[in-house]
Amino acid sequence: MRAKSTGWRRVADNLHLRVVRKLLCVAALFGLSVSVAHAVPSYARQTGSDCVSCHVGGYGPQLTPYGMNFKLGGYTDTDGKGIKIPLSAMLVANWTRTAKNAPEGDQIEGFGANNNAAMQEASIFLAGRMTDNIGTFIQTTYSGVEKKWGLDQVDIRIARSLTLGDKESTIGVSLNNNPTLTDPFNTLAQWRFPYVASDFNAGFGPTPLIESLAGSVAGANAYALFDKNFYAELGFYGTLSPTGLNMINAGDAGKFKGVGTYGRLAYVKDMKRDNFNIGLVGFMANVQPDRNDLGTTNNYRDLGIDAAYQFLGNREHIFTVNASYMKEWQTLNYTYGSVAEADNLKNSLNQFRLAGSYHYNQTWGATAGIFDTRGSTDSLLYASSLNGRPNTSGYILQGDWTPWGKEDSWGAPFANVRLGVQYTGYNRFMGGSSYTDSDGNERRASDNNTVMLFLWTAI
Amino acid sequence: MKKHSLWALAVIAIASFSQPSMAAGDSKKGKDVFAEECGDCHSAMPGKNKKGPGLFGVMGRKAGSVSDFSGYSDAMKQVEITWSADKVDAYIAQPRKVLPGGKMKYDGLDDAAARNDVIAYLSTLK
Repeated sequence: MRAKSTGWRRVADNLHLRVVRKLLCVAALFGLSVSVAHAVPSYARQTGSDCVSCHVGGYGPQLTPYGMNFKLGGYTDTDGKGIKIPLSAMLVANWTRTAKNAPEGDQIEGFGANNNAAMQEASIFLAGRMTDNIGTFIQTTYSGVEKKWGLDQVDIRIARSLTLGDKESTIGVSLNNNPTLTDPFNTLAQWRFPYVASDFNAGFGPTPLIESLAGSVAGANAYALFDKNFYAELGFYGTLSPTGLNMINAGDAGKFKGVGTYGRLAYVKDMKRDNFNIGLVGFMANVQPDRNDLGTTNNYRDLGIDAAYQFLGNREHIFTVNASYMKEWQTLNYTYGSVAEADNLKNSLNQFRLAGSYHYNQTWGATAGIFDTRGSTDSLLYASSLNGRPNTSGYILQGDWTPWGKEDSWGAPFANVRLGVQYTGYNRFMGGSSYTDSDGNERRASDNNTVMLFLWTAI
Repeated sequence: MKKHSLWALAVIAIASFSQPSMAAGDSKKGKDVFAEECGDCHSAMPGKNKKGPGLFGVMGRKAGSVSDFSGYSDAMKQVEITWSADKVDAYIAQPRKVLPGGKMKYDGLDDAAARNDVIAYLSTLK
């Protein structure tokens, strides 16, 4: 699934800005690999649970506490009725209209300047219990827009429950390819709203490194949920070799010097009727952008805070709020010092996300979100910006219909579908109310306002 | 006087027999309690198990006896309990105290009225 930042990648590519490729390839381009949609019916078949047990609104990926515990337990819970085949498939199709035709330089081969219909993603999942303590979430995706396959997500877990002191706890290890993929909450990049986005959308601006590595790294994380309330995770990541990246059609984020370090702390409280969590997340890595010129690094330090609340009640009326704020400190030894493609040695990036949702009867959903990214002024680094800043902000509104996914639904647990409409409105894009597009013309942020109709189905 | 005493004894006896051991719950409220507290792990549909055994027909059933559910703990399989209202009440109030070694990851439901309601709902599942 390579949808979220495709528009931003097109902007960068077509400006032919080496600096953008060297630095923002890290900060944004590999946001391409951020998956935007997950619904895995093989888990429902394995557990006997309906989709609504694990997911708000009866469709992935927003997890309930039950879903969080299933994930932390290594995807191994069962209904005790024999062996289930851990395979699922998913398809996302959409139609996208932007307020103004895409500039020629941003148009995708095989598609028009506007009003594009696409089979955006077709995925196969190996997702389920392998042994009593080992389970998987592995996804491979064919992009109908990019016309290629990729290994999207890998999360192989070994987990077990135990009693520490007299407290019930879960511990585990995850082998994975994305720093936020392992998170059990609904606030970090991999799992936050919007859960589906169009490849023809302009994207949400530059992103911190932690959100930009999916598919291009391999990591091992150890985690523990102590006394059902205290969550801690520590992971170490290395970058894949060019050969490895080519094999799985992943982008090259450069080569880490040493390892990237991921850390997560959270407090979660499940009162059954409602629940909340609050946490901290951090990631740090030193990246050598040019594999032919190793030694000098761009250094990234990401630190974020997040919180979420869910009212589940009897599941007839469900309300959720998810919020996150992240700050990234960048020291651009390579981009500034070696290739002089940034104005500043040190920059920062601030990202805020907020989303609230309401679901009725696990069928009808409405979600509203805002995104706001701000950063240092750097005219070389953000050459498409008229004021040198990367600031990008706006809002997303979504309405959707999920007719199945309940215990007594037709075709359960095989038949799953969500139909929806999503609108993205931009207040600012790459600096302000207008920026320089890929053709070199001034374009208003609001020209990127997007309407998407989508069909999302899984078996 | 003796006649009055006999009448009084008779009334007390009738009252004793007719009074349930627990206050009657509201099954409609109990359905909501079930959805909030139990439904993620237990199904109310006939013949359907989730992470926990199905609860259709649970009242009057011997503990650990759903034949196609293999996830019972040894403790649950060995305990000699037939699920009645008072047994369910005690169990869902403090699962680990009633059944040490059980697998159910549930801290218990403190609210006695809510327990009565959900027991009333479970009693309708037959």
